[in-house]
Amino acid sequence: MRNIVLNNVRPFVDGKIAEPTKICLVDGAWASSAPEGTPEFDAKGAIALPALFGLGLDFKEPLRDDIYTFKDGVEAMRRGGFYGGLYESCANAIDDSLKLAAIQQISAKCGLSFAFLGAFSMGYQCKDLAEMVELSEGGVVGFGDGNQNCARTRFLRLAMEYGSMTGKRFFFMPLDDSLRHHGLVHEGCYADTLGMKGIPRIAETMEVFRILEMARFLKVPVHFKQVSCGETLKLIERARTQGVDVTCDVDIYHLLLDDSCLFDLDSHCNVPMPFRSAEDREALWQGLESGTVNAISVNHDPVLRQDKEVNFEDAVPGAVSLEVALPAIWKPLCTRLSAARAVELLSTAPAQLAGIEPARLKQGGQASLVLLDPDAETEVTSSMFAGKTRNCPLLGKKLPSRILGTYINGTWTEE
Amino acid sequence: MSALEIKHLFGLRGVSKHDIRMILDNAKQFREILERPVKKVPSLRGMTVVNLFFENSTRTRTSFELAEKRLSADTVNFTSSNSSVKKGETLVDTLRNIEAMKIDIVVVRHKGTGVPKFLADNSNAIIVNAGDGAHEHPTQALLDMLTVEEKLGTLEGKNVTIVGDIRHSRVARSNLWGMTTMGAHVTLCGPSTLVPRNTELMDMVTWESDVKKAVKNADAIIALRLQKERMDDALLPSMREYRNTFGITHDLLENVKDQVLVMHPGPINRGVELDSEIADGENSVILNQVTNGVAVRMAVLYLLAGGRANA
Repeated sequence: MRNIVLNNVRPFVDGKIAEPTKICLVDGAWASSAPEGTPEFDAKGAIALPALFGLGLDFKEPLRDDIYTFKDGVEAMRRGGFYGGLYESCANAIDDSLKLAAIQQISAKCGLSFAFLGAFSMGYQCKDLAEMVELSEGGVVGFGDGNQNCARTRFLRLAMEYGSMTGKRFFFMPLDDSLRHHGLVHEGCYADTLGMKGIPRIAETMEVFRILEMARFLKVPVHFKQVSCGETLKLIERARTQGVDVTCDVDIYHLLLDDSCLFDLDSHCNVPMPFRSAEDREALWQGLESGTVNAISVNHDPVLRQDKEVNFEDAVPGAVSLEVALPAIWKPLCTRLSAARAVELLSTAPAQLAGIEPARLKQGGQASLVLLDPDAETEVTSSMFAGKTRNCPLLGKKLPSRILGTYINGTWTEE
Repeated sequence: MSALEIKHLFGLRGVSKHDIRMILDNAKQFREILERPVKKVPSLRGMTVVNLFFENSTRTRTSFELAEKRLSADTVNFTSSNSSVKKGETLVDTLRNIEAMKIDIVVVRHKGTGVPKFLADNSNAIIVNAGDGAHEHPTQALLDMLTVEEKLGTLEGKNVTIVGDIRHSRVARSNLWGMTTMGAHVTLCGPSTLVPRNTELMDMVTWESDVKKAVKNADAIIALRLQKERMDDALLPSMREYRNTFGITHDLLENVKDQVLVMHPGPINRGVELDSEIADGENSVILNQVTNGVAVRMAVLYLLAGGRANA
């Protein structure tokens, strides 16, 4: 549906949630009026937020389109209220301009706003440099090697040094493979009680330290994805005071879950960056409050049912999140932060990190929004998810808010 | 017959004193039966037990199989080396296929923590854990408890010291939960690379790095098997240094209680975690453990099957 009139809606305008009003959404914009006969929707006081921007999207296409496709991903984005996202696939390294052009062509048909990270090494192998200049000219907004750890420090130096010509930011999920060893979960009291191999915090902090030193040395901007422990935030704060251009994000599930969930042995909680302790989770929240954390990421990573319907340790790591992110996190965010900071973390800042124009709600302007009832619950069921994957750690749980509908790039989708 | 509170045996963490008491008391009765000329009882006649072993095992599987046969159950052995798992079948499909053949109880061993619970969540069979990763090996701990009770009369107030690779030991974990529930004081001792670092949830036991102090007041010492892979992984420098530092030797036992029980889950690395003269000496109850293993497994199978029948 192209046009809709939302009645009794409280839009997020000029940094705050306004009083109930009427919004006419016509041809993708917030118009002063709507053509006669335009359908109306009674929002019953629900809030209209600028549509969200997802950091960490991996739709698997083309090499693993048996798992998920762009079509599935775009449907998930519409359901979850996302108008765009930063795409970086672990399955498909974008390491030359042909691959970049191919994926840009696929995404262009979707009508949403995508930005792409290019690989800095061919095939994420940390052996041969990718043609970063050409990738940059082709439109990548930064460089990253998926979630791979670049163990060869000299190669990392050369990649960042060469890539510095582009002025683009380097993105890392910081985990030292050697310290990680065969670990899957946080090395803490729950892992030790269960006899599971753990990933110590220093696997993250030592990698962060190595990359920060490299960034300082080469004067290259860096971004840390899915920061999971408090010590990392201290390193980032210190580096910033020393002039390093460093940004970071926190994964949505790391704000909601900690390693106490391990006792359930639910394979959906097997994710690439482990859920750490309750103290770490609190430190991440404090990082949101203090501003150390720039953005909240979604890291939408579909995994087939048969790869999750196994015991925890044999499951393929990864979680889908686009459909549940906002109803899961909005209320917890607003209990500790202002609505303005919440919108910044979920929408404005992620878009800015990806070099995309942030979504804003303003009468007379383009409008992509998500209509949220902050007080209605959502039960997470399999039918919520686009495509054939359902690998969500919150499956079966109740979320504190509910999406009533989304208006993304001129299309109204009612739940 | 009063029923167990548990419906499956995943581990001993969280299992009540009532249930452990009932298993041990039943095991004592089965232990007597094992001494008779005719060792078979008809308790599980008509029931089918599948031994689903995804890890190599001779002792535990044989012990379970004997227990099942002595309860007159029909038994089937399923090992990963000759199974559809090698052809890519998932764990849950393997279980559902076996279950479709109308089985009643599954005894499972697997390298993954929580596999028994996963199987129980996905089937109607009674699940018994025969070892899941480094998580739990509850029947081994129950047979250890039975052995201590048999020799010392009770676990209440007894000092039990477990020495060795605690970090990777499902035997140690099951014992610490089970023994402490039954009132024993448990001390755990091992090299710093082979003990867990984060013990907040296991603070009912004593952690001791000096083996001499750890065994000083022990009523029973359980030596754990040291796996050679620990050397390959640089967790230890050598078998030799391990033996000299943490091995249960004649010298070490000179300053302990005379009647201390020496135990081992087997198979023993003689001259590494346990010297031969100790393994074969008068304090050793290792072969009693093996006999008790069959009795304990009979009790577990009998009580769990009885609980289902009474449900």
